[in-house]
Order: sequence, then C-alpha cells, then structure tokens
Amino acid sequence: MDKNITKFKLLRNIIVVAFVLIILSTIRLQIIEGKKYYRLSDKNRIRQKRIPAPRGKIFDRNGIEIANTRPGFYVSVIRTSIDKTTLKKITRILNINEKTIEEKFRMEKNPYMPVKIAHDISYKQLSTIEENMDILKGIEVGVEPLRNYPYGELFCHLLGYVGEITHAEIKSDGNYSINAYIGRMGLEEYYENHLKGTDGIEYIEVDARGREVGKITEKRPTPIVYGKHLYTTIDLALTESVAVYLENYERAACVCLNPQNGEVLVLYSKPRFDPNLFVHGLEKKEWQILNNSPDAPLYNRAIMSCYPCGSTFKPFVALAALDSKMITKEKCFTPCRGKYRLGRRIFKCWKTHGKLNLVNAIIYSCDIYFYQLGSYIGIDTLFSRANDIGFGKRTLIDLPNEKSGFLPNRQWLEKQYGMNWTEGHMFNLSIGQGDLLVTPLQLAYAFTVFANNGEIPIPHVKKREKYDYHTTTISKQAIETVKQGLKGVVSFGTGTLARVDNFEVCGKTGTVQNPHGEDHSLFVGFAPSDDPQILVFVFVENAGHGASIAAPIAGKIMKSFLIQRNAVHHAKKT
Amino acid sequence: MPKRLDLDIIAAAIILSLIGLAMIFSTAGSAIFFKQIIWFVIAVFMAFIFSKISPRIWLNLAPFIYIGIMLLLFILLFTHGAYPKRWFKLGAISIQPSGFAKFATILFLASFLASRKKVKNFSDILAPLVIVTIPAILIFLEPDLGAAQIFFPILILMLYWTGMPAIKIFIFFSPIVSAAASFSIYIWVAYFAALTIFLFFHKQMSDFIYGLVSNFLAGLTMPVVWNSLREYQQHRIISFFSPWVDPRGISWQIIQSKIAIGSGGLIGKGFLSGTQKKLEFLPAKHTDFIFSCLGEEFGLVGIILTTLIFVYLLYRLLVLAKETKNKFASIFVSGVFAWIGYQTFLNIGMTMGLLPITGVPLPFMSYGGSSLLACFMAIGICLTISKSKFRY
Repeated sequence: MDKNITKFKLLRNIIVVAFVLIILSTIRLQIIEGKKYYRLSDKNRIRQKRIPAPRGKIFDRNGIEIANTRPGFYVSVIRTSIDKTTLKKITRILNINEKTIEEKFRMEKNPYMPVKIAHDISYKQLSTIEENMDILKGIEVGVEPLRNYPYGELFCHLLGYVGEITHAEIKSDGNYSINAYIGRMGLEEYYENHLKGTDGIEYIEVDARGREVGKITEKRPTPIVYGKHLYTTIDLALTESVAVYLENYERAACVCLNPQNGEVLVLYSKPRFDPNLFVHGLEKKEWQILNNSPDAPLYNRAIMSCYPCGSTFKPFVALAALDSKMITKEKCFTPCRGKYRLGRRIFKCWKTHGKLNLVNAIIYSCDIYFYQLGSYIGIDTLFSRANDIGFGKRTLIDLPNEKSGFLPNRQWLEKQYGMNWTEGHMFNLSIGQGDLLVTPLQLAYAFTVFANNGEIPIPHVKKREKYDYHTTTISKQAIETVKQGLKGVVSFGTGTLARVDNFEVCGKTGTVQNPHGEDHSLFVGFAPSDDPQILVFVFVENAGHGASIAAPIAGKIMKSFLIQRNAVHHAKKT
Repeated sequence: MPKRLDLDIIAAAIILSLIGLAMIFSTAGSAIFFKQIIWFVIAVFMAFIFSKISPRIWLNLAPFIYIGIMLLLFILLFTHGAYPKRWFKLGAISIQPSGFAKFATILFLASFLASRKKVKNFSDILAPLVIVTIPAILIFLEPDLGAAQIFFPILILMLYWTGMPAIKIFIFFSPIVSAAASFSIYIWVAYFAALTIFLFFHKQMSDFIYGLVSNFLAGLTMPVVWNSLREYQQHRIISFFSPWVDPRGISWQIIQSKIAIGSGGLIGKGFLSGTQKKLEFLPAKHTDFIFSCLGEEFGLVGIILTTLIFVYLLYRLLVLAKETKNKFASIFVSGVFAWIGYQTFLNIGMTMGLLPITGVPLPFMSYGGSSLLACFMAIGICLTISKSKFRY
C-alpha cells in the first residue's frame, strides 16, 4: 500500500498545518491582541452609569422658589437588546415617533449604553410598562431630577427653559452626555454653568442584555456635584400683579427696576409659553407651532424686541439740549398751531398747544416744539448725549440675546439717505419715531438717568453685593430741569392716570404710530420722585394712546410696589 | 502481532469529553451538566458494545443501518410539527438524527466503496454521490445547512482514500468552486480562464468537456440558488465577510467569541470565571461556542492542550486507516477521520473568526447527546477495527 503512505503523509500534513494555523491565530488573539480583547470584554460588562446632578434652584428676591426640581420617570432602551416588535410596543405606550428614537440611537455611539427615549412619563404609562415588563425586553425605567417651574408661564422669558441637548451641542461641548439637559434662553442659558452641576459616575457590571448585575469595586466612582442655587432680584408678587394688569392685552412688555442699584424687579413679556412643556421634549410639530407663531411667544420682548419709543424719547432730547447749553429751560420756539410746515411736507402735532417753554413742552408732549428743538441742536449733539445715556447699546444685563436697539448718527444718516438727508429725519427722530429703535429694558435703563441723577446702575437679575454704575457726563442741573417736566407730566400733563396717592411720580407717556394697526402704548416713570424706589416701563402693543393704556397700568404697578414696600417697612418698625 | 484495542483513540475521546463536560458545567450549570454526564456514560457504553462487534458484521449491517436512518430523517421531515425539524422528541429527551446520519452514511459508503474493484472515473463517483446527497438534502430541508454540507468533504476524503486521483476529484467537484466564485464576475472569469488552461494541459478530452460545461452551468445557476437560501443562511455567509457591520446580528457572535478567546490571554480568567460567558455575551456558549469558553477560562494553555488532544486523536485514526489491511475498515476509519477532523477545524475556525459560522458542534465537547453518541459509536467501530487490523 505505497499509495496509502503518500495519502497518509498528505493528510497528516494537513492536520499539522491546521493545528499550526489554529495555534497561530490563538496566539494572535490571546497574546498579541489579548489586551485589546480584554479591554473589549471589560467594555462589554462595565458600564458607566451617569447619575444626573439636579440643577440649582432659582429664587426670587424674597427667597421663594421660582424654579426647582422634581423627580420624574424616564424610559431608556439599550439598542442591542431590543427587537423591533418591542420597539413598536413601547412607542405605542409612550405615544412617540419611532423616528425620534432612531435619532437618539444615532447620537449614542456605544450600542450597549441605555438611551433615554422618553422623559417624565405619566403614571398611567409607567404602570402599563411595569405590567408588561416581562415582554418589554431591553426597556428600563428610572427616576431622574427634572426641572420644574412652579409658576408656569409667569417667568417663562426671564427664566427660559431646559431642553434635551442636541447632537451638535454635544459635539461642540464635551462636558455633556447624551440625554443631558441644557439651559435655553433666559437665566437658564446665561447661568447654565452655575446651575447645572456635574453628573456623578458609577461603574456597574451588566450582562449581555444590559441588565445591571452588580457594582464594580475596582473603579472609583465620581461623586455627584449639585448645581448651585441662583438668588435673583426678581419680585414674584410684583410680577404676578403685572401679569394681572396686562391680562387683557395680547402683546406687551414690562420692565421694573430699582433705579438706585439696577436690580431687576420685573421682566415681563407677552405672549407667553409654558417652559414646563420642554421638559418632556417637544415633538417637532409642537415646536414649530411655538416657533412660527406670528405672535412669537418664545421672544422675550423686554430685551429682544426693538421698537420706536415715541414721545418717551422727548425728555432725552430736552436733556441733550440743556446739557449742551444751547438753550435754557425758558427757550420757546414757533408756537404750536397743530401743524408745522417744512418745505413741502407738513408735520403735525396731536393737539394745538400754542406757545410753550421746554418744561411745558415735556409736560404736554408737544411735537412741534420738539421738531424745532431737535433740529436746533442737531444730530451730533443729540447722538453724543443719547449714546452716553445708553441708546443704541446693550445694557449688559445678565441675560442672553439682548438686542442693542439702534441710534442713528450723522454718518449713518448720510450713508442711508445721501448727503442731503433732510431736517425731516431729524424731526422724526426728535419725537422718537423714524430710525430710532429701543428695547424696553434699554429705555428703562436710559430713564434711570433722571431717577438717579446721571448715575445709571447696570441692570442685573442675579443678586449682588456690589453694584456697577455707568456714570454719564450729563449735568445734574439739566437732569433736574427735565425732571420738573416729568413730575408735571404725571401731576397735570399727559400722564395723570399714572398718579399714585401719597407719592410723587415722574414719568412720560408715549404713543408709537404703527402702520400695521393700532398705536403702541408706552409709559415710563419712577416713584417717589425724590427717592426713587421703582422705575417702571410699560409697553403695550397695538393698544392705543400711552396716556390712556400704559400710564394707568404703570401707575397701578408703582402703587402695588410702594404699598407693599411701605407695609413691610411699617411692619419692621413696629 | 498481539490483538489489542487502540486505547489511545478511546482515551483521547474520553479526555476530550471530560474537558467538554467541565466546560458545560461552567457554561450551562449543573442541570445540563448532569444530562450530558448521562449521555456520556451511555456513549462510552455504546462504544464498548460496538467494539465487541466484528467489522465483518458491521459490513453486513451497513446498508440496513443506512436505510433505517434515512427513513428516520424522512419521517422527521414529513411528520414532525413545526420548523426547524432537527429533533425527535421522545419524552424528556430529544434526539438529533443528523449525527447518526453521518455515522450511517460513512458506514454504508465505506461498504459500498470497498465493494468496488477500482474507483477511477467520474462514473464511479455518481453512486457514492447519491449515497451522501440523500441525507444531505433531507438535513438541508430541516433546515440545517451546517450539518448538511459536512457530508461532501467526508465523501471527497473517502473517495481520495479509496484511490480516486485527487485531480479527478477536483475536476468533478470544481463546479462548486465555480459557484462560489460567481459572487464576483471578475473572480469567476479569472477562475474559469485558469481552469481552462489547467484542463488543456490535463490532456483528457472527457475531463475537458465535463469541466468546462459543468463549471459554466454552475456559475450561471448559483445566483438562483443563492436567492432560494433562507435569509439567516445568506446573512451568515455575508456577515463572515464583514463581521463589524452589524454588531447585533449574526456577526455579533463572531465578535463576542473573539473577545472571549482574546480576553483569556495566556492562562485564562480561571475555571467558572469567564465574564463573556457568565454575563451571556457569548451566544450558544455550551453548544457551538464551547471552544470560546475554553479559551476564555483556560487561555492559550487550555487551547493548545485541547487542540493537541484533537490532533493526536486524528493522527491515531489516520494511522489506523493506514495500517488496517481490510479495505472496508480502512475506508470507514478514513471517513470517521474526515468527519471528526473537518467538524473540529470548522468549529474552532468559526470561534476564532477564521471560517464562517455554520452552526457545527465541536465533536465530543459541545453539549448534545446525539452528537456525542454518534461520535462514540464511530469510535467504537474504530476500536474493533484496531483490534483486528492485521487479520485480513
């Protein structure tokens, strides 16, 4: 059987070669790449478990919680241990879109990490899931701290909201894990790092289905760092009053400051939205409705909307004129006959005032007087003073997305309208129309120049020990003169409806003509005039005259505040 | 020459089974472990009984055993409830006839080939091909592609051992290569060109015509056959070529198996301490992937030792096949050698990601009574052959 020996040798060699191949590939797996595979086996079984840090609470000036945390149930899924039918079942229970889940899966690279697919599920959903736990493989339910706004819509623009972080945000900031919440808009955004804290990390051992089997002791956990609380200057009671006074108007904004130190008491905007909704994670449709609504409820009108400011700008024109010493308070121009002809154009006043000096022109808000005054002092004088007071600049309040408004200067006008831009532009500017744009906060800020004798405190929402001021170069005398006019406005001028019993109020009404509908109604004022405790700016869109709508509201706000404050003082004394 | 059993063969088989039992205890717990112990005892007992029966009797019994098992497969396929129809349920135990089918087919094929004067031409292959194709198709329909394909390497090796020239065998089975190459038109064209040149220099007209025509047809029909495969079977083949694409699917098994073996390192994580196995990352850990658990818990040392025992067992079978003077006995042993050798390397290669996942158990070690029993029955006949190897 010689042939048998050849065959025997061949087959023997095949066995030997196969054996050598097996041993070589074992050596490759176990010795050469052994460490890699050991790491992979650890990665299989050891999972980082994030323990989300609760966000810091936010308090009003009196220590009342206006944002806190509450426990909420979430549902998470491990991609590798869930099948399609289970996924369908859970989407039906949670009433969410399968695409939303797929998007979230895409964000998490590690297929063994649980991905939260729903936050803040209802008790009904929770019990349905718990009942069916044995058929819902790969589904986990847990508790997490969720943001809660006890006053709902009341502080929506001021506080902002928290929402689940997006894919792009994780990429740009490595400090966040997927499913993390991040502050959006308002204080939540501005003080994100202060409020958020640091998640704790635990290491647990899991099996192939992602179920927790035990704790890993060889890796040290990272302790949780709680988010810091934020103490604000906001006055809850006053904000509630403001909300009531503005109840009947669709779109409005209100700013209340302490004019002596810049503490923001109220920052209010309408229409509103419910920041609690964002905790669930809005479906795309809901978000689009909110975002595309013509009333722009997500917009904080108090710091983001730029409006013309109408007659409320007149005191600043007067101030610029007096400060530049181009006129005295006795200066008179061509008397008001209700109309003023400039070349071919006719500029109107809202009333026939006759002959007025500066103070009376403020009190009765005579347009004809201010057309001539503005034109008399010129753009450069007006720009330098108004710019110094803060027009066209951000107030630097501690909130995101503040707009700077717009104050035109000579160069801009020349560029915009050519070298022969006419006095007509100056006329419009002098009564706060035309190209001038302000945010409500900005106007309130500028108005503190009268309340605090030229020292403008920087507005802020977070409580401070020390206050920052912007010191203007405006002369005290000029301020005092205009202030006389402002007193007169409320005592017997256009703003009498803003009067507060027992307190002297300074203020100015404004009516902004609006080509799209009713006029916007404005009032800005402070009280008491000798020792101002509150400065109020009310802006009501499409409501009518400043004197009839915004002034009485501002009066009520000041009254509420002063009465409450006096009561507290009184109580403290006795 | 003294009459004696080749104790090395049975000893190697028993040691491998004991290692397997230890791994089954580690992976599947005591209940399954005790079940397998019972199977093991029965299997060794059967080997003992079979070793007492003379090869001549086996030669005469071969057709009856073959027909009986084929009927069993047939009944299973056409009477048994739902798919997959791989098991006979007899009370508490279930029997998988595919293991016995291999045993019976090898036995019958050996008796058939031994009865031929010479096995040289294509026409001599046809009858053996029918003998293996019947069980292969019946098992393929269960469906169990992994078990069905094993018959063909066994057939090839037995033909070779019987005396069929390797070149002839290659030409005969070359359409399979053509079919495999048809996945890429470029590879197929290159293969076909090379084959044409090879056949030209082979200088046999009939081979030339057969080779070209059959290869051409195979390359043409393969895409049709491919589409008739079940999805998971297609998936297994695809995933072999790109295992990291879908970590949750079938390639998850390859990855987890490689992680299990690789993380074992030089000496392993220790008996009962494999995390891949314990936390159920490893699929089919006590059946198809028992070798991965061995690698995880006993490391390189465990794998070398176990593989050496397998190699030694195969070597002893080969020696037995060579030294046995009786034609039937020699061919039978070569068949057992092909069966155990092919299945061993296929399984181990699969756990290391070298070969596709075919769902083939590791002989002697994987959990499963039928497979163990069939292997030991074959070993039992090898023993009786070793006792009488010089007598004919």
